[in-house]
Amino acid sequence: MKLLKTGRWITGIGLVLLAAVYVRALAFTPVERFQGPAQKIYYVHVPSAVVSMMAMGLVGLAGILFLLLKDQRFDRFGEASAEVGTAFSVVMLTTGPIWAKPIWGTWWTWDARLTLTLFLFLLFLGYLLLRGAVTDPGLKARYSAVLGICGLVLLPFIHLSVYLFRTLHPQPIVLKPSAPSLPGEMLMTLLMSFVVFVILYVGFVMQRYALSLLREEAPHA
Amino acid sequence: MPEGVPQNSAFMIAAYVVTAVILVGYAVILYRRTLKP
Repeated sequence: MKLLKTGRWITGIGLVLLAAVYVRALAFTPVERFQGPAQKIYYVHVPSAVVSMMAMGLVGLAGILFLLLKDQRFDRFGEASAEVGTAFSVVMLTTGPIWAKPIWGTWWTWDARLTLTLFLFLLFLGYLLLRGAVTDPGLKARYSAVLGICGLVLLPFIHLSVYLFRTLHPQPIVLKPSAPSLPGEMLMTLLMSFVVFVILYVGFVMQRYALSLLREEAPHA
Repeated sequence: MPEGVPQNSAFMIAAYVVTAVILVGYAVILYRRTLKP
């Protein structure tokens, strides 16, 4: 299947580029004076958070389009994006506390941003559990679409939580109305990492979508 | 490293290792699942 092969190639290229980002981030990007080397966790934590949110946004959009058009391709895409988003949200939820321990002195705090991102992860899990629990394909697709739309509604609250509530989590320094407040070298590393994470997302989703197609072709295998 | 900068490289290394394990691990799992759907 062409989709599967292309997805494998894109994933392979993404993993090689991830290694290149590691080299750039660890060896060629300056150490921040106040946070030390732990600041470099930023280059994997932020892209994984953005891609997780992007994945949930696309699950929600696919859900809306499925409910409007009743096209199975949107349901398949939503399932693929949710599973891949779960993997990226695990990266986000593990690298965040590893950064927080040396910087805040604690692994976790129940502030608005952290709690809402945990809720995003639980929504991903709930979406996948729902798909496993409902056997009727029509109901499964409809319930999943509604849950995906709930996830889409959550996203603005996650992004704005650092403005709306008193929180330990830093405010955005790139995704904000004014210019990014990050030195050029650091910004370039962050953008490269973000592009690589998006490439990996695309490769993973293509493979996961192809897997759904393969399962539909051979349901009793 | 300049004097006065916090010495917390272990946390940085841990985060990068965890990220690689999750992403490479998921890539391998996906590859295996598509071999035997």
